[in-house]
Amino acid sequence: MRRRLSHSKTDVELNLASMLDMAFQLLAFFILTFRPSPIEGQLSLHLPPAVPMTNVAAERPDVAEAAEASGTTLKTLEVSVFADATGEVSSVQVELRAAFQGPADAANLHKLDQRLHEAFALEGSPFEQVVIRVAPNLRYEELMKVIDVCTRQKMADGQLLRKISFVEMSGTDQAK
Amino acid sequence: MARSSLDMSSAQPNLTPLLDMVFQLITFFMLVINFKDAALDQSLTLPVLGSARPLDMKGQEDLLVLNIDAEGQLKVYGVVRDVKIYIADEARQEEARLKAKNTPLKPGEELPTMVVIRADRATRFNLLNEIIKACQQHNYRKFALKAMNRREGS
Repeated sequence: MRRRLSHSKTDVELNLASMLDMAFQLLAFFILTFRPSPIEGQLSLHLPPAVPMTNVAAERPDVAEAAEASGTTLKTLEVSVFADATGEVSSVQVELRAAFQGPADAANLHKLDQRLHEAFALEGSPFEQVVIRVAPNLRYEELMKVIDVCTRQKMADGQLLRKISFVEMSGTDQAK
Repeated sequence: MARSSLDMSSAQPNLTPLLDMVFQLITFFMLVINFKDAALDQSLTLPVLGSARPLDMKGQEDLLVLNIDAEGQLKVYGVVRDVKIYIADEARQEEARLKAKNTPLKPGEELPTMVVIRADRATRFNLLNEIIKACQQHNYRKFALKAMNRREGS
């Protein structure tokens, strides 16, 4: 005897309302917590600790040669950044010669760029790194402008300059 | 008098397409949410530098993000931490990780982690330099200095 299934003709109806409630709650959470962060840029650098420097234009070439032979030093271009009382750039020197006086505006930064370009464009440019001597009260934003100009320079091997060290100026350095 | 035939019928809207749409929206928000952003202190005002380029990882996976406010304080998830202790802890953990991968660090060798410095634009150099030196002491050499391409709102 065959029994007929009583469920064969019934419709199964899912109650979607509760699932929809939950989905809306999830959606509300994601909408409320969604905050697109602004796109940040960066300057990538290789920052070794400050090491003994070989000044290419040193008055004692014998000292420079000895230091180079020891392999402990890098031929270094020195950039000094001075600041005024408000923490803005007041002047910049490249190898003790003034690159510009005044604020780090576009025109002055162009002068610095040209000066560095001249130094690095020399045939067989001897510089391997840049040491930036910075006034202690210089603001980060101002320093970044100088770093930006430095990182645009190309070294003798065609690579962009990435090896930079920072040295904090002493009080006597700032008075010079 | 005619009686409306709709009086006793129940209206049952088809919720399936609505549910589909909501799930698609949820999927969208789940995909675009980035929990790493929680490590970035959005209260800082980064310097503006036109030539700053967005982060190009180039296989670099390990980042140490340092949020430094205008007073030179390190903030980790909004909490002020001692810089030297924090960096020393991170370096120790990194060395332990490398050891566990059978690639221990040789003496004097640099850590592969990139230090991402997000400093406020008003931070003084002497404060920032202390943090950079602390990183260098623990063999961090790769640095990324963060800046905005343009001022916010412009």
